[in-house]
Amino acid sequence: MGQTSIRRRLIAIVVLSQTLLAAGLLLTGIYYTEWRLLSTLDAAMQARAMSLAALVRYTEDASGDVYFDDSLLPPSIDPSHPDLFAVWTEKSGLLVHSRNWPKDLDISPAGKDHWRFKWAHVHYRGLRVFHVPVLDREEGASFHPQTLSVIYAAPLIQLDQQVNAAGVSIAAWSALLLAVTVLLALWGIRRGLLPLQQLADRAALVSSQDWELHAPKEAERTAELRPLLQSMTNMLARLERSFVQQKEFLGNAAHELKTPLAVVKSTLQSLLQRPRSAEEYQKGLEHSLEDLQRLEQLLQWMLRLARAEQWAHGALRRDLQVIDVTATCEEAVERARHLAAERGMTIRLAKNGQVPLRADPEDLQLVWSNLLENAVRYSPEGGTVDMNVATANGGPARVTVEDHGPGIPADELPHIFDRFYRADPSRNRATGGFGLGLAIAKALVEAYGGKITAQSTLGQGTRMTVELPTN
Amino acid sequence: MRVLIIEDEPRLAENIGRSLRESAGYAVDIAPDGQEGLFMAESNEYDAILLDLMLPEMDGMQLLSRIRKAGQRTPVLVVTARDDKESVVSLLNAGADDYLTKPFDLGELLARTKALIRRGKGLPSPVLSIADLELNTVSRSVQRGGRPVVLTAMEYRVLEYLLHRPRAVVSKTELLEHLYDYNWEKFSNVIEVYISGLRRKLDNGSSKQLIHTIRGQGYILQE
Repeated sequence: MGQTSIRRRLIAIVVLSQTLLAAGLLLTGIYYTEWRLLSTLDAAMQARAMSLAALVRYTEDASGDVYFDDSLLPPSIDPSHPDLFAVWTEKSGLLVHSRNWPKDLDISPAGKDHWRFKWAHVHYRGLRVFHVPVLDREEGASFHPQTLSVIYAAPLIQLDQQVNAAGVSIAAWSALLLAVTVLLALWGIRRGLLPLQQLADRAALVSSQDWELHAPKEAERTAELRPLLQSMTNMLARLERSFVQQKEFLGNAAHELKTPLAVVKSTLQSLLQRPRSAEEYQKGLEHSLEDLQRLEQLLQWMLRLARAEQWAHGALRRDLQVIDVTATCEEAVERARHLAAERGMTIRLAKNGQVPLRADPEDLQLVWSNLLENAVRYSPEGGTVDMNVATANGGPARVTVEDHGPGIPADELPHIFDRFYRADPSRNRATGGFGLGLAIAKALVEAYGGKITAQSTLGQGTRMTVELPTN
Repeated sequence: MRVLIIEDEPRLAENIGRSLRESAGYAVDIAPDGQEGLFMAESNEYDAILLDLMLPEMDGMQLLSRIRKAGQRTPVLVVTARDDKESVVSLLNAGADDYLTKPFDLGELLARTKALIRRGKGLPSPVLSIADLELNTVSRSVQRGGRPVVLTAMEYRVLEYLLHRPRAVVSKTELLEHLYDYNWEKFSNVIEVYISGLRRKLDNGSSKQLIHTIRGQGYILQE
């Protein structure tokens, strides 16, 4: 499992950057130390080479010969490790060299002024100096100055030791710094991630009993956690809403199903409580039958709703034919005519030719029937209901059902598509209806990728608009 | 005893009402919605209230907390379609004394209502007694000194009420309040008729009078 850890990653970054920094520091430190020590060494070597050159004397004659006065040899730079030197003259070649001068040493590496070489397991730094001594001479005396070539070499034992010591010390300090940084980073990350842990602890307390996320203050103050906190809060609100809706639906369904059952049961039990007249028995049985029919109806509606919703969630796929929406509207109006006539109402259908759509005609008729029944039920007797079906070239099929009833208050309008919602507050069962019609209509319309909306003006009426995409 | 039924399903309310009248001899009032239920519960004296939870106008839970907040101690039996633990807990916490889930048994509803009324008056046993007088609320029979006493329905109801309030002064108005439902005209002299009938039947052959008249206040049942 590819588990990653923010803490481990951050620590890795800290360690890596610290190591790079330490390596850089070490290299720079060593280079700088060596450079400083070498320039000091070079200065000392230069001075000694010049002293050696100064010990070359000219003879008093006109031959221009030279000799070396070895009475004033400069001391070695490092007293425990003797330096090497040799002096050449233009004329006579090697004039003098130190006692330990290696005969076979290659003394002219590519004409460099400074170089490093190894002899008898010891590293040396070599220096070559050219010098023309100038001497005070009496006027007229013949004088042939010679160019001297001096090579001076000092062992690097001490210098290498010093550079090593500097390197070790820098490395040690860097390691210590690295350790301290890692500890600090560990502590810092732990502290930094603490609000996340606290948030997780609080989030674990959220349940279906208490949906509120009591976010710790620390987490609220942490800028990085704010987006997470925000989306958690939003998500919980959505979850709670749907949970409450589901619970309400369950409660409503239980109530709606159990009440008629309770009525039938109580009717039959009360019939059996004592001997009754034949009339009483008949009346009781009639009532029971009525209530059972109502229960059956309700079950049908609930199944229809369940099917529509299931389909809306893509659980069913059907091969659909292209049908005419206008024809389904005509059929629905025909079916609703009886109910409308009972209330002395007329339904007017405004149509404009065929509106082709890939759909099941039964589904569409059910939607229109539900809308028409609602419109008829909530309109004053003797009024009219207007139905309009049209499509704007290539646009969605648009069906509106408009009544001229009392309208729906603005605060109830968002709920009319809720399951078991009844606009009629007295919920008089005599008017029929279970509060499922609009929920079914909505589920079916959404199953076809359409949408259903309601506009209402108090005292003027309500208009339901269904839009179905035609492609 | 007088019971209020708050239930929006008229046929169910009617069936419960009939059963309470016929099998327990209670006076029954029916309220079809929460608003009216609250009004009736506040304006009349009831010995028990049967409350449906899902009501138009005012939700049963709301009604319950309203009457409990007002200090009413009438026992309330909630009739609900919900039987999940949460709803039961919350309705008991809101002040309900008992609950029944739909669809319920009429016999069970009757028994629970009777028990609620008894417990509401501090009487645990279904057999009420004082001195050698015994009244069985289950079989609805009365005995005095082991001898059965035959009472009319109204006489039984008066005696049952008095036995629920033993050794307390019960006024005629209280008796009227608890024995008749909303639709009855209430005349206090009717009570006097039942009391004298009860006295005649109960004290027949007994040396000790049990029902005493406190002048200007009412009646008291004691040895």
